[in-house]
Amino acid sequence: MIATYIRVEFARHIRDGYNLIFALLLPAAMYFLFGNIPSYTEFDLGSGNVKFYLMVSMAAYGAAVSTVAIAGTVATETMQGWGRQIALTKMPPAAFVTSKMIVAATVAAASAALVFALGSATGARVTEGWIWSVSYLIILAGAMIFACYGIGVGMVFKSESALGLASGLMVFFAFFGNVFMPLEGGMLDAARFTPMYGYVALARYPLLKDIPAGYDMAPDALWIPVANLVAWALIFAVFAVVAIRKAKARQ
Amino acid sequence: METLNRTEAVTLTGLHKTFTTSRTKVEAVRGVELGIETGQIVALLGPNGAGKTTTVDMILGLSQPTSGKVEVLGLDPRKAVSSGRVSAVMQTGGLLRDMTVLETVRVIAAMHQRPERVEAVMERTGLSGIAKRRVGKCSGGEQQRIKFALALLPDPDVLILDEPTAGMDVMARREFWATMHEEATGGRTIIFATHYLEEAQNFAERTVLMSGGRVVADGATEELRKLISGRTISATLPNEQAVVQAQRFDPSISIAERNGQRIWFKCADSDAFARALLSDYGAWDLEISAPSLEDAFIQLTKDAS
Repeated sequence: MIATYIRVEFARHIRDGYNLIFALLLPAAMYFLFGNIPSYTEFDLGSGNVKFYLMVSMAAYGAAVSTVAIAGTVATETMQGWGRQIALTKMPPAAFVTSKMIVAATVAAASAALVFALGSATGARVTEGWIWSVSYLIILAGAMIFACYGIGVGMVFKSESALGLASGLMVFFAFFGNVFMPLEGGMLDAARFTPMYGYVALARYPLLKDIPAGYDMAPDALWIPVANLVAWALIFAVFAVVAIRKAKARQ
Repeated sequence: METLNRTEAVTLTGLHKTFTTSRTKVEAVRGVELGIETGQIVALLGPNGAGKTTTVDMILGLSQPTSGKVEVLGLDPRKAVSSGRVSAVMQTGGLLRDMTVLETVRVIAAMHQRPERVEAVMERTGLSGIAKRRVGKCSGGEQQRIKFALALLPDPDVLILDEPTAGMDVMARREFWATMHEEATGGRTIIFATHYLEEAQNFAERTVLMSGGRVVADGATEELRKLISGRTISATLPNEQAVVQAQRFDPSISIAERNGQRIWFKCADSDAFARALLSDYGAWDLEISAPSLEDAFIQLTKDAS
């Protein structure tokens, strides 16, 4: 029963286009613009070059934002009574969330793949081939923690404009999470506590791992991004659960 | 195994539902006892806020009673729903605007694991012609028909409709009930909540009247009308003297309404009074009417509060 639902979900996304443009084209376009500034993007960095670094950043941002947008529709559609409609069928509510997650993961995967393909075509490179696949997998897996965030915000504000808010906040998280431009000093210290920091730092770790501490762009000790990611995954999960409970009590 | 006792379609025992928020406590349903046999067509009639939707939600297992018990076909409501033996047309929402009609019917059919019924149900509910249209572009009546189609997908034994014609115009409403009549065959139990008396009167063999979270009357729809004794007679009288005399005919006579010389009398023995009006008081243009369900409704809900 999930298969039919997922097929229709994709049909809806392709028809509306709006979400897909944001999810697929925006990260690719951003990489294309910022990743091809010739003055510095060819420079070596860690086990690869600056282009690879920017490619990972944009792919991570794109995957996370598309996950938020699609996961958020779980909330808005539940609020529109679709959840009640589903509750009157054999399908358990968990299967509804699962099919949305599959769609979200697929779109996130496509979005990141597009950026990676663009990167590969325009000169992003690393010395060790495995870094490509490991970075890609970290991006996909990490993006899933933002699903809970999307569901939670949708449930609290129960409208479609809430999803705009959720996605908008992601831009803020991205800037403040060291995603778009390297932060320094006090800003960087604060950034270590923001939700996207651990995620993107982990995705970049395979590239930057060999830079000795103290040098420019040297990565944090591995436990810092891991702790950040785990902590935010828990916070978002609890937030989503509380938001769902509150929304149910209101009905 | 065959049981000797015929299973009731819906059994409600001592049903209570209280909504508690931080500031207020609302008792939406206060002790409903109700047994509906299989094959019956029952109207759940009551004004807004009578507790109809809350009761329907509990019958469908969408919310849990504060106290009391719900059984559907002898089963726990959730079980009856997941086995597809009971389904419902709900009052608000329940459709996604950017799906097409066909997509909507298809996904819900898949969730019921009855994909083979899609075509037949679309045909029967008159949706085949608008299959490719987006739900958001459908009129209120069409959307209601989509919800009706979704409810028919599992081929349920018990069909519950919560205000099924809300937002429909007169024509759409008539068409809806015509389709409904076709579905009411083959022993299907139908329970519909409504605040249109006309719908209860035309369609239900039994009417359960709810007000303030309680059942205030329950019986054959015809019986319910008789609960209000007496008739209304309207006639035009020639002069004031005749009006005064007519009022003294017997103690049950009272004037319900008056518009010039046109008088609406309430009386117990309408036959005798009608005869007297025509022969003794010179009245003309006489009309006798039985109380409508509306009158019964007003009186009974007044009694209950």
